[in-house]
Amino acid sequence: MALKLKLKSFIGSKQESVQTPIEETVTDILTIGAAVTKNKVEIKPVNPHEEQEIIDGIEENYYDNESFDTSLHELQKLPEQLDADQITEDCLRLRNQLQAVSKRVSELILQNHLAYATELQQVMDLQRTLQAAGLVCQTGRKHLSHARKSFTVASLGLLSNYRKRQQLIGLLKSLRTIKTLQRTDLRLREMMEEEDYCGAIHLCQECQKAASTFKHYKCISELSSKLQDTLEMIEEQLDVALSKTCSHFDHQHYSKVQQAYRQLGKTQMAIDQLLMHFTSAIHNTAFTIILGYVELTSASSGAANFQKRQYDDLCKHITTETFTPCLVDLCKAMWEIMKSYFKTISWHALNDQDSCDGDSEIFHQRYVGTKLDHGRSRIWEDVQQRVKKFVLATDLSGFKFDEFIYILDIINRMIEVGEEFCASKSEGLQDTLKLQSLNYFKTHHQIRLDELRMFLENEAWEMCPVRSNFNILHLVEFRFMRKWANSRHMIPENELTTEDKCESLTTDQESKSYFSCYLEEGNPFDKQFEEEEKEDVFSALLETDGELLSDSDSDVAEDLKKDYIDEITGEAHSYKHKRRSSSRTILHKQTPLITNTTLNVLRVMGKYLQMISILKPIAFDVLSSLTQLFDYYLYTVFSFFAPDASSHNEQAVNPRLLNTLQRIRDNLLTNSSVMYVPNKKDPDASTDKVATAKMSSVVQLSDPKSLFGLAERVVATESLLFLAKQLDYLQPYLEELIPITKKTFLSQFYSQTVKMAVEVRVPVYGVVSGLSVSYESVLQQMSTVRWDVKEIMSQHNTYIDQLLKCFSDLRKKLEEVDKRVPLPKVVINLFWEQCVKNANRTFVEGFANAKKCSNGGRALMQLDFQQFLTKLDQIIELRPIPDKEFVEAYIKAYYLPESQLETWINDHKEYSSKQLLALVNSVDHLSRKSRQKLTNIIEETDKGRRL
Amino acid sequence: MSESYEFLFKFLVIGSAGAGKSCILHQFIENKFKQDSNHTIGVEFGSKVVNVGGKAVKLQIWDTAGQERFRSVTRSYYRGAAGALLVYDITSRETYNALTNWLTDARTLASPNIVIVLVGNKKDLEAEREVTFMEASRFAQENELMFLETSALTGENVEETFLKCARSILTKIESGELDPERMGSGIQYGDALRRMHRQEKLQPRTSRPDCAC
Repeated sequence: MALKLKLKSFIGSKQESVQTPIEETVTDILTIGAAVTKNKVEIKPVNPHEEQEIIDGIEENYYDNESFDTSLHELQKLPEQLDADQITEDCLRLRNQLQAVSKRVSELILQNHLAYATELQQVMDLQRTLQAAGLVCQTGRKHLSHARKSFTVASLGLLSNYRKRQQLIGLLKSLRTIKTLQRTDLRLREMMEEEDYCGAIHLCQECQKAASTFKHYKCISELSSKLQDTLEMIEEQLDVALSKTCSHFDHQHYSKVQQAYRQLGKTQMAIDQLLMHFTSAIHNTAFTIILGYVELTSASSGAANFQKRQYDDLCKHITTETFTPCLVDLCKAMWEIMKSYFKTISWHALNDQDSCDGDSEIFHQRYVGTKLDHGRSRIWEDVQQRVKKFVLATDLSGFKFDEFIYILDIINRMIEVGEEFCASKSEGLQDTLKLQSLNYFKTHHQIRLDELRMFLENEAWEMCPVRSNFNILHLVEFRFMRKWANSRHMIPENELTTEDKCESLTTDQESKSYFSCYLEEGNPFDKQFEEEEKEDVFSALLETDGELLSDSDSDVAEDLKKDYIDEITGEAHSYKHKRRSSSRTILHKQTPLITNTTLNVLRVMGKYLQMISILKPIAFDVLSSLTQLFDYYLYTVFSFFAPDASSHNEQAVNPRLLNTLQRIRDNLLTNSSVMYVPNKKDPDASTDKVATAKMSSVVQLSDPKSLFGLAERVVATESLLFLAKQLDYLQPYLEELIPITKKTFLSQFYSQTVKMAVEVRVPVYGVVSGLSVSYESVLQQMSTVRWDVKEIMSQHNTYIDQLLKCFSDLRKKLEEVDKRVPLPKVVINLFWEQCVKNANRTFVEGFANAKKCSNGGRALMQLDFQQFLTKLDQIIELRPIPDKEFVEAYIKAYYLPESQLETWINDHKEYSSKQLLALVNSVDHLSRKSRQKLTNIIEETDKGRRL
Repeated sequence: MSESYEFLFKFLVIGSAGAGKSCILHQFIENKFKQDSNHTIGVEFGSKVVNVGGKAVKLQIWDTAGQERFRSVTRSYYRGAAGALLVYDITSRETYNALTNWLTDARTLASPNIVIVLVGNKKDLEAEREVTFMEASRFAQENELMFLETSALTGENVEETFLKCARSILTKIESGELDPERMGSGIQYGDALRRMHRQEKLQPRTSRPDCAC
């Protein structure tokens, strides 16, 4: 601004106003080098010093800055009051300066021109090079861009490829996994075969998990469905494995299976399955066994296809030969199944306790526990059904006794197993047992009865020699009772065999339970064979028994000695039938009189008792059959040896015996034509009944020489009594066997039949005693005697001698018989009693026949009778003489006064009316009236008696 | 057991004690050897239906005690026997020597037509043999007996013996030499035949309608 003002003031001075712009222009040119050159011409050579001075005079400011505005600087330097001279001077100085500078510059330029030129040349060169370089650059760039372009694409591809590769590797891995998954199937199968169910399931489940992570693959869905299938297959396999448990429980195996189920979380289902398997195992096993046997036996005929038959139907095809082995096999198989079940339960009881964790687990276990528990009875029911159906399908009645016992034993054992298994009462099997036993027993009994009849019909009633102290326990059939008898001290100590002691040992062992004895090995149904062997051992021991039963001839002396010793010590060596008679040899009297048939009956009874002890349910039926044996024996003995006793000599037979005989006839005997009128028509009389026996023609009962077969009669009757005695001995045992409700039957049997046996003696021996003395001829002789003699006679009548002669003959004959058959004293006494009674009756009858009788006659009667009694004393041992009073009273009644006679007649009903009338008539001290009165009384009583 | 048979023969087994009579019978009936054999007491019994020449024959066999003291019991069974097995023990000359007595007994007590088979038992004990086959064979020939050696232990010839005896009886019946109807023949008709015979006998009566008795 200041400059403007200066300028304005300058312009105001008008002189210089035009010059300034020019100056400005010059200064402008000066700033440019080119302007310098233009001004060169004006330069005048000057001294260099001067020049130097000039140049040195140049204000410092000019060098300062290129952009320094020289003009402005000069202008500003101008004083306020412009002075043209000054200015001119300045101009000049400036001009000089400029000249100097220019000159210097030009000098410098000239000086440096060459350098400049070369330099320029270099620059040119440089420019050219640069151009070339630019070109190179350009092409390089072109190339580069090309290169870069192509390089990027490749690397991108590379990258993407790499990525792809990575993906593919991933895929490959997956695929490999999938492949493995697919392969797993195979491995699973292997594991199945190795029974590593647990591992298999684990693997399978892992596979499924793995498969689910690969869900996105299409193939996986297929695979996973396949895996599902496999898992199902594993379950099926597992199920099969589970079913194996039924037939054979293997601890490890079952643990594996259970673990597998637990892994599947299906323990409950497993138990349900298991129960089902057990059921089907029972059915299938039973069926297979039966089928096997049926096919075995029908191999020859084998047209029928048994495979499709029903079990029940199939059972009917079992033959009797194969029945027993089949039953044993069946029972064994059933046992195996039950054993497996039992083991299963124990397994659970043991293992579930160990691994108790979590509520659900406990719940499961409880479920399993109750299931298994309920299963027990179901299993047993099934087993029982199978066995029952099998047993019932065959008719066992034709089996041998021992075999049948064996079968019973097996079934009983089965029942016991059932009892132990589930505390079942096994009604089904019990019923079966009962049914089959009854059926069998009925047939068996029928055969036995027929056999007994045959024995009786062939029986010659010869005495069968046995040891003097023989009793049923000596028979093999009663061996089983020794223990019982032993417990009651019924066997003398010296007769105890080691076997008795053994037996008590073995029973102890047997009390052990089946499931503890046979859990690991063996089978309760194998046992019989061992027992059979044992029996053989026992039998060897029994050699001594055989000797007990039948003394060999050489023992006799020794035996006698033994008995003698016993006599001295007074020790009861044996019991009951050992009678100590003083008159004859001890041995002789003691020998029990038994027959072959008696032995047979005893043996059969023994077998029946064995049957009872095995078979309690039909105990009563067996027992009643047992009594039939005795009934039949009793009846037969009676009918053989006293056939007409009932009709002839009624008083002699106990009416109760007759009742018993009648009952036997009605219940046991078929309505054969042999005797008595049939009381009712029975459509099938053969069942349960037996024909009456006909006596063997060997037996002669009509020969007076053999005393009308007295020996046979004695053997028969006494053998019957021996039987009765043995039954008495058995009574307490039998009472233990039968139910209380049936006790009356037994006591009735004993009171009505066994006790009556002794009554058979009377009619049987009565026949002999009646026939062996001819009482008729005595009577005949007596009728010739005159009883109205006046004087007292001193000589008895001859009929007494004759009678006594008969008696002594009889005694001789008896002694002869006694040689053949030792006659028991009771028998001899009874026989003589009967004879004497007969004689007495004859006397009374004879006396009554006297039409007239005097006092002397009465005395003669007494004399005769006295003579008889005295002589009889020497012949017979019987004391006192029976019925002595019968004769004496009759004779002495004669002397009674009239008044007493009436009471006497009323008191003595044992005389017949005829005898009483004869008495009344012969008494001569009676009035006619009183005689009439007495006669009337007698006739009245007679009428009363007849009514 | 339904047993039907055409004939019933009563058989006897006799011979000295210990000859093996009961064992032979046991083997015959049970097909087993009786290990624990005691002396027979009195008489024991067994029966079996066998097939002889197409006919079912029931053998009713009485096995007698061999011991002397049972002789009186056993003798009573001789009567009415159709056949007898006379048994001795080939290892015991004593039992062989007793044969004559047994034979006399049998011939006198049983029916004269009785068919007797001589049986040499315990054939299995060849080493202890005391009686040769030839010797016994000659004895059998002299006494008109059939002869066999048996072993109750092995069962050899046991069944044959009974069958042989039965067959011989049957031949005699067929030839008329034996009359089953005669008392004490030891032969009875079985159910089937008995019914037939009864019908024959009833024939004349049946012409009349059912009698009203």
